[in-house]
Amino acid sequence: MLRLAFPLVSHLPARKPPPIRPRPPPARRYAASATATVSSSTSSPPSPPSLPPLSPSSAYVHLPFCRKRCHYCDFPIVALGSSSGTAPSRGEVADDPRIVDYVRLLLREVAATRPVSDDGVPLETVFFGGGTPSLVPPRLVAAVLDALRGRFGLSACPEVSIEMDPGTFDAAKLRELVGVGVNRVSLGVQAFQEDLLRSCGRAHGVEEVHEAVGIVTACEGLQNWSMDLISSLPNQTEEMWEESLRCTVDARPTHVSVYDLQIEQGTKFGQIKIQLLPPVTGHIHLFCAPQIHVLVQFGYTPGVFPLPSDTESANFYKIASKRLSEAGYNHYEISSYSKPGYECKHNLTYWQNRPFYAFGLGSASYINGVRYSRPRRMKEYAEWVQKLEDGTWSHESRSSDMKDMAMDVVMLSLRTAWGLDLQRFSKSFGKSLALSLCNTFKPFVESGLIIAMDMERQALPHLDFELDLQNEGDLGSKVAFIRLSDPDGFLLSNELISLAFGVISP
Amino acid sequence: MATATASRLAVLAPRPLAPSAGRRRHAPAPGGAPSRPRALSAAPRGRVLCLAAPASAAASTTDAGQDRLQKVPISNIRNFCIIAHIDHGKSTLADKLLELTGTVQKREMKEQFLDNMDLERERGITIKLQAARMRYVVNKEPYCLNLIDTPGHVDFSYEVSRSLAACEGALLVVDASQGVEAQTLANVYLALENNLEIIPVLNKIDLPGAEPDRVAQEIEEIIGLDCSDAIRCSAKEGIGITEILDALVTKIPPPKDTSKDPLRALIFDSYYDPYRGVIAYFRVIDGSIKKGDKICFMANGKEYVADEIGVLSPNQMQVDELYAGEVGYLSASIRSVADARVGDTITHYSKKAAAALPGYSEATPMVFCGLFPIDADQFEELREALEKLQLNDAALKFEPESSSAMGFGFRCGFLGLLHMEIVQERLEREYNLNLIITAPSVVYRVNCADGETVECSNPSLLPEPGKRRSIEEPYVKIEMLTPKDYIGPIMELAQDRRGEFKEMIFITESRAKIIYELPLAEMVGDFFDQLKSRSKGYASMEYSLVGYRESQLVKLDIQINAEPVEALSTIVHRDKAYSVGRALTQKLKELIPRQMFKVPIQACIGTKVIASEALSAIRKDVLSKCYGGDITRKKKLLKKQAEGKKRMKAIGRVDVPQEAFMAVLKLEKEVL
Repeated sequence: MLRLAFPLVSHLPARKPPPIRPRPPPARRYAASATATVSSSTSSPPSPPSLPPLSPSSAYVHLPFCRKRCHYCDFPIVALGSSSGTAPSRGEVADDPRIVDYVRLLLREVAATRPVSDDGVPLETVFFGGGTPSLVPPRLVAAVLDALRGRFGLSACPEVSIEMDPGTFDAAKLRELVGVGVNRVSLGVQAFQEDLLRSCGRAHGVEEVHEAVGIVTACEGLQNWSMDLISSLPNQTEEMWEESLRCTVDARPTHVSVYDLQIEQGTKFGQIKIQLLPPVTGHIHLFCAPQIHVLVQFGYTPGVFPLPSDTESANFYKIASKRLSEAGYNHYEISSYSKPGYECKHNLTYWQNRPFYAFGLGSASYINGVRYSRPRRMKEYAEWVQKLEDGTWSHESRSSDMKDMAMDVVMLSLRTAWGLDLQRFSKSFGKSLALSLCNTFKPFVESGLIIAMDMERQALPHLDFELDLQNEGDLGSKVAFIRLSDPDGFLLSNELISLAFGVISP
Repeated sequence: MATATASRLAVLAPRPLAPSAGRRRHAPAPGGAPSRPRALSAAPRGRVLCLAAPASAAASTTDAGQDRLQKVPISNIRNFCIIAHIDHGKSTLADKLLELTGTVQKREMKEQFLDNMDLERERGITIKLQAARMRYVVNKEPYCLNLIDTPGHVDFSYEVSRSLAACEGALLVVDASQGVEAQTLANVYLALENNLEIIPVLNKIDLPGAEPDRVAQEIEEIIGLDCSDAIRCSAKEGIGITEILDALVTKIPPPKDTSKDPLRALIFDSYYDPYRGVIAYFRVIDGSIKKGDKICFMANGKEYVADEIGVLSPNQMQVDELYAGEVGYLSASIRSVADARVGDTITHYSKKAAAALPGYSEATPMVFCGLFPIDADQFEELREALEKLQLNDAALKFEPESSSAMGFGFRCGFLGLLHMEIVQERLEREYNLNLIITAPSVVYRVNCADGETVECSNPSLLPEPGKRRSIEEPYVKIEMLTPKDYIGPIMELAQDRRGEFKEMIFITESRAKIIYELPLAEMVGDFFDQLKSRSKGYASMEYSLVGYRESQLVKLDIQINAEPVEALSTIVHRDKAYSVGRALTQKLKELIPRQMFKVPIQACIGTKVIASEALSAIRKDVLSKCYGGDITRKKKLLKKQAEGKKRMKAIGRVDVPQEAFMAVLKLEKEVL
């Protein structure tokens, strides 16, 4: 019946895709630079190329479905309601038509997207983000993967990540996902305290968290998984945060993401929401002002109770950095920690300013130097896909402005422990810009928020750095990289990066 | 002249538009340009060019006007002014005089009570009309009465004295329900100095609370004027107006007949008309002046041809000739009021008078402040606006100034606080400029170690402590009249402002005159506002400069992260330095956003820190979310943050928002 109603879905795989071997612990793909790294604790992936190579080898797929919207969330999502997905959906259960419809759209988008080049660069990473992708039946995930493989090719052992929320899957479903090629799980735990989970509107409790951790760690063939946490939640105390970190370390994920709560406007936590409601009748009379209803909500203000103070929340960040480092994780990006070799390859694409495809509602792609965000509303997204198919939509081929490219490189690379490769930056954007950047950062090298490093990635004393700057002609004779220090520099990354922006675009 | 009825209405109903002293209503300037810059000094009101007017009304005015243009013997000319405190009914009385003499028809009159609270009213500027020539017939003998208006505020006492010098008599109008006020007193004394015949008038006798006998006694006691013949009137009800007109004729002496002498005409007002150049208002003291005469201004020696001469009745009406004793205007394509300044003497180029009339003086600014455009792009606009204002305001002085914190601007000199506020308001309202105004300062005299004396109005230019022996500051004598209930609070105020008590006199049982001497610098802040608020609006004041005195003055510097901020430097009395320093550093701490490092904010005298605050460093500013690779939002936020930094002024490594400067400068005005 369903197949009749949704003819396209009938093409969804009844057949099992060719098995993708679970990904082995990734070998150092950048062995050359990794061996050059002196200190193992700062071991990092290679420096990003300043300019994107032509062909993307990563794809982001947005699966927007959630049971309900979390209070902090402003992503484009579709809330299914409690009826759906409260129990892990099994193969026999009828799929939610909204999901089926959406996946059909997704497949159309993939089919309508032309590979950037015909030289057959296959995808190295695929990331199913959401939303709550674990609400999507594995068959449909497989259908998307199949489509991607058919359109762009998949490398021999790609990194295929999926975001999963506790309470939305069981062991069988995870096995099924792994069976269709998923080899990395990003588990949205967020906190280990019942009260905190409830107060931020999560659809699961602590019990489900432990259950989910059990399922993930017991899953054969899945060795790479990330625990996602949020710090600075309302009413969160230092003790709670320490507890969450302890539980995290005990669960022994290969990767940990620690996101600091951002209060976004338009969310339940958001500061103020003002909504103009149109008059009920929809008629606006010329001489009679329409009645306008205004809805105002007051939410949380960062740094103000019940949110932790700025000092507390900075402290949470430092604690995370300390505890996770002690447990053997590298703090390789502002909000990412991993066991050596388990960096999220997909996210590195972002930080390294490399191109990537994106598919689905509200998702952002970076192709041919152009960043494009798809419509965030389903109806508009569907219309957009139609245009894409009709060939009536194309990327504007506006050439990216050099300033903007320099900003991208700076803001992305400074998020990483690897930092900004100054020689590469000079080559792409000019020596004088690199010099002014260094001059602006001089006081912060001295105060320790920024670390200057030589070719061997050894930190330079600030006097060496300043001396190097004075020999303008020889910039980089010593200084090769600059990075933000962990945790103090990372903590002030916005300030420092916006300073750099001021240099790039005075 | 085809000026018509409507213009008169405006003339007679000088409703202040902006809180500038210029209350004329004029035809809209072409192109919407700021309307004619108007001198606030000695400004006659209501010289109006007005467009539409009913033809019939125009005709009847013309008739009446022609009548008024008829010459009378000099013995039948009476030149007078009206001295009154704001609200005591001067404008109403002037209206009634114009009406009763037929100068303005009754139906042209318009309700003209100035019931809007505006700057002038708050500041106690006496309502001001303009010069008006009236014809009044007594016993079939026609008289020519010239009413010459005076500005009422002490900032313009020079202009007042020149107006008075153009008269032989004055009506002293006192509200019979209120009594004598401080400014009235000041102007009466000026009139007495000019040997004017003073006719006391008790107004508003129709009010239930009127006590004409008590007020008459008050005038006798305070001023020493014989009030036995004081006229009791109600301008509003039209009571006693004829008596006033008769008294003008009988009591005020006619001008001396010196029409055969070489021309000497006293300029008592001038304003700039963008189409005709400067229009000078004058009283012919000696000789006569004809249209087309080649004339010479004696103060600056400049020569012009009098293209047009005429009388004011109250609008401009051309005549061919004016004789000694008459009052009129002339236009001679003069480009700036500075060339036809109040107090100057007009004479004939070919037959110069031996000496100019006495009393002329250059405008000396007493109060200074820095004016900086908030938007640096407005610097040129500010210069043009100041130049335009100066065309009409010879007392306004300015020179370019630059400050590390606020960029380029001007240091401006004013006659007094009111003058300063009016200019600021006009720049902002009429020229749409957004300004930062530094705390007003006065001119200090610095006695240097090498014996030299340096005048200094800009704290940042004060000689180094090592180079100066002492600093003198201007002192004023301030006279405050107040109901006795407020004596306490007012004395407290004066004491707070380093006032030196001189005298207190009970002028009546319930009212006292309190005299203090205090530094002008203490008055340039909010003294007047404080006086008004502490006396619930009842007290009035008047001040005059009494000279320079040595004071324990120090320069208070503000340092942000060890960098001195010139724009925030002030000169304060040693005893006040601590509290001012504390207030300023606290305010700055509140207003400067936290930086990536700890920032000390200090107030210093020389190298000594007297107040200190510290701005703690930012704890965290990080965006950790990944947004599924969508970096555009993150980038937008960072760009916005970078833009925010650009809008700030860098003091060393510290970014200080413009608003912080403004708030601190405002605070300086309050606490100094």
